[in-house]
Amino acid sequence: MDPPTAPTNFWTQLLLRPIQRFSRNGSTNASESRIRRRRAVVSFITRRLWLLQLTLFCTGYLWLLIIPSPRLGRRTYIDENALQPGQVNTYWNWGDVHAADKNLAQLEALRDSNATSKQRAEFIRDQFHKLGVSASTQNYAFSTGNTITNGTNVYGIIASPRAPGTEAMVISASWLSRTGDGDGTLNLRGVSTVLALAGFLKGYSLWAKDIVLVVSDGHLDGMHAWLAAYHGSTQSNLQADHLDLPSGVIWTALNIDYPGHSFSHLGIFFEGNNGRLPNQDLLNSFQRISLYTGGVPVLVYDHLDSREHPDLSGLPPWIPTAVRKHPEVQSYVYQAKNVVRHFSYQARGRPSGVHGLFHQFRIDAITLFAVPATGPHGFHAIGRVIESTLRTTNNLLERLHASFFFYILTGADRFLKIGSYLPSAILISIAMMFNGLRIWSDLAWSEDQPEIPEKQKQTQFTNKKTWTRRTRPVIKVLAIMIATHVYGAFLFAAVTSLWFSDNPKVASPLVFTIFAFIPLIILCALPSEKTSRGSLSATLKALNLCLASTVISITALLNFSLATLLTILMGVPLSISATSKKFAVRFCMYNVYIVLGIGWLFLQDETLKAVWHWEILSIWFAPFVCLVYTPLVLQAGLVCLLPQ
Amino acid sequence: MSSSRIRSPSKFTLEFGLAFPLFAAARLVLSLTNLPHVLKYDHQLSSPLTSYLNLQEGIYLFKNGVDPYSGGTFRHSPLFLSLFTTILPATGVGSSILWTLGDASGAWALVQIWRARQRISSSQRDSLIAALYLFNPYLFLPNLAHSTSSFDNALMLFSLMFASQGRASASLLVLSFLVQISPSSILILAPVLLLLITSPVSRLASPQPLTSSGVQFRKSGLLLVEFIAYFTVFTLISALVVGNWIWIPQTWGATTNLPDLTPNTGLWWYFFTEMFDHFRPMFLMVFSIHLFMYIAPICIKFQYDPLFAAFLLIGILGTFKSYPSLSEPGLFLSMITIFPELYPYFRHPIITALLHFHASLLMPLFNSLWLNQGTGNANFYYASTLVFACSNGAALIDCIWAGLRIAIGEEETGYTVVQE
Repeated sequence: MDPPTAPTNFWTQLLLRPIQRFSRNGSTNASESRIRRRRAVVSFITRRLWLLQLTLFCTGYLWLLIIPSPRLGRRTYIDENALQPGQVNTYWNWGDVHAADKNLAQLEALRDSNATSKQRAEFIRDQFHKLGVSASTQNYAFSTGNTITNGTNVYGIIASPRAPGTEAMVISASWLSRTGDGDGTLNLRGVSTVLALAGFLKGYSLWAKDIVLVVSDGHLDGMHAWLAAYHGSTQSNLQADHLDLPSGVIWTALNIDYPGHSFSHLGIFFEGNNGRLPNQDLLNSFQRISLYTGGVPVLVYDHLDSREHPDLSGLPPWIPTAVRKHPEVQSYVYQAKNVVRHFSYQARGRPSGVHGLFHQFRIDAITLFAVPATGPHGFHAIGRVIESTLRTTNNLLERLHASFFFYILTGADRFLKIGSYLPSAILISIAMMFNGLRIWSDLAWSEDQPEIPEKQKQTQFTNKKTWTRRTRPVIKVLAIMIATHVYGAFLFAAVTSLWFSDNPKVASPLVFTIFAFIPLIILCALPSEKTSRGSLSATLKALNLCLASTVISITALLNFSLATLLTILMGVPLSISATSKKFAVRFCMYNVYIVLGIGWLFLQDETLKAVWHWEILSIWFAPFVCLVYTPLVLQAGLVCLLPQ
Repeated sequence: MSSSRIRSPSKFTLEFGLAFPLFAAARLVLSLTNLPHVLKYDHQLSSPLTSYLNLQEGIYLFKNGVDPYSGGTFRHSPLFLSLFTTILPATGVGSSILWTLGDASGAWALVQIWRARQRISSSQRDSLIAALYLFNPYLFLPNLAHSTSSFDNALMLFSLMFASQGRASASLLVLSFLVQISPSSILILAPVLLLLITSPVSRLASPQPLTSSGVQFRKSGLLLVEFIAYFTVFTLISALVVGNWIWIPQTWGATTNLPDLTPNTGLWWYFFTEMFDHFRPMFLMVFSIHLFMYIAPICIKFQYDPLFAAFLLIGILGTFKSYPSLSEPGLFLSMITIFPELYPYFRHPIITALLHFHASLLMPLFNSLWLNQGTGNANFYYASTLVFACSNGAALIDCIWAGLRIAIGEEETGYTVVQE
């Protein structure tokens, strides 16, 4: 007779199901049933590991796609109570606007007379002196390859009337505007604003910090030389004069970029060298002040909001109007534009303006970009906004620290916290790690011939196949991996060589061909060992995936955009690399990976720019690509190339 | 089968007599570059107790007639002070050579331990062992930063080497000197005493209680007395050098009282930064006693192989001691090379390796996010030291597991080993 069954409802059944699933046997031995249960759980998970990986990949990539969604972010807020943005009366008035106009006329005269850097600098220094601001000039020269870039910076210091001058705020303008990445558009109005501000700010006794006014030559180079001299950092390819006038520790910096005649919006540029971002409080204070004190709407970058300017949405016309006009779609499109722009700066570690150079010295800085338009704003608005922003940063008693340093700004007043975007890249890297570990543990066993001795058939744990442990060629694989990184070092040496920068048109295809063939030649030259070749390829794949996963998850914390780029370029490609029986297939696969790994050599401008940024600004994107990214992809290529 | 699992030494068939000077020379070249000047400021590579900068400051004060222990920065032993002000060079090329020599002698001692354990006069593995000691980044980076922990490691290995060779007095003399300069190393006194009355040969695969093999425990009592005698002599010499007793709370006291909370790779500093002052003594006691808690169980469990017990205690020291740098975990990791019999039985070697890989990338990055870029804070770096502690713990667990598991032998098809 069956034992009476307990009354079961749906929920108890649901709860019991997993327990029943993993303890099906009726063994009385506790250890035995524990082992059985453990094995059942392990095999349950391993059999479905591909599903888990797929889920992780899909979730990760989908998460990346929904980052611009208006539902994910939240509104910005001021975290540091000391800032009190927009709580003061501003004194900047039409008289100061007139002064700025006069400065502008003189600067235009200088421009028209083709004045040299030195003449310009001396003129500006004299202007500072006339206003009673102590000022000086600084000559500098950068040498990259055969070219020498030189120029002259001017700076003036308004000593704080209220404090000993241990801290300072910087107002700066570069001679060249960021429009077209410093292609020659002049920032005359920015410079004249700085000059007018010098006279204006000197007249007030409420400054608790020194105000340093810098007019830097060139676009990025001038400010880099000035900052290097200010902080006493040396660089082998930079010769810069010492600064005569000292000031305190710089906490915040505002860089003014005002290239047009008038402006409609002020755009914030905030990405710094190597993807460092300024504290969000600075951006948020500026945004509030600009909107409420200056009456100027704020944008991220120079992207006009497509919700206000429907012709700018950029959506193709074949999309139904109902979708195109949907407010959520419009928000998504606008925010996606901002996010992509942010990624393009941060992933390459490039500063999005002169402010970015400040970041390496722990200074929170942004560029205020006056988006060129026919109106309605001009010197009056920008002067008030800067005055009020300075009054706000003047309140600080310690460095900006309260608000976020890790964020994605999806709009001028919307952002994503680190917790809302970081999981996307991390999930993908976990999927890769699982894949690598799976292959690794599978490699420990090799299948034997299916003949089973009679007596084993009766034992309880007998499987249909027998498995024996085998060794994994770890040392060999590690040697291969190290070799690929050495290969990357050679590639980096080739790309940074003088010869490459002098004739990139010839050099880049040549370097590509040479570096595509080097691994092939080495593989052919090496004596081939028949034993455990197949496991060589698989072991390499396992360790390659583990390494790539580590690299992605660690870069995600430093520079999320770069990690995202890596997940896109390496996530799926590295996971699907596999060897094959046919040499032709293997060779084709290898070529695909080579194109993925060193195909960037054909983007000559981009390569040369990255090298320039490395040599002058120490931005590690170029060495990172050569020493980390390319070797990882090459390893995947070798996984395909190595015989089964 | 099991013998083929040991990594094939074919790649390292270099003659030890040739390879070892070569490796040492390579290290010397490295230390003669600009690297020491760059690295000496990094507080991950040297703790306040082993920092080169502090040592130099102490020497300067001492030479100028100021008692270096009257301030709060110098925490090196008076023995170091007397040696560096008289015979040892503390600056320039001399110091580079001295520190390289420290690591080279450590590597040599490790090879001697291996030989003593295998009862052979040389093997193909020697060069590999020396290379993995000399080129372990956890060991050579602190060495390039001229952290005195390199000498601690070398002395530790010499003490174990003499003990393995059965030279009791030499071993105890070195150990007492080591305890003078790094008091928490007292942890390995017990296994060293055991090692002196037994042998370093691997008995992991055939465990048996010591009492059954007729070991004379009485002898270890005499050895302990000898150790105390050496220790007292060194203490008196130290007192003679300084001329008073203030140095004791400044040097030995620092390991238990944690006066300097400069961040390091260990677990103590952050915990005691956050601690309210009235809980401090209690937790200092707990943390200090915690270290000593492991001696008895490990020495009892692995009484048949005291060298292995010493190895485990070195791992515990590297994970839990008060002022660690990368050197101490590095010593533990490099010592794994002399226990190849463990390799097939590691529990999760790939996980441990990946954890170490993550930790060694995260620590410098988070350190720079906190202190250079200013976008992170102390919690970031602390989190990375936690990862590091986990990876050291995982390595320890791997080794302990393998050390116990090896006695059961290979798993046969159809059978499973269970921990009850």
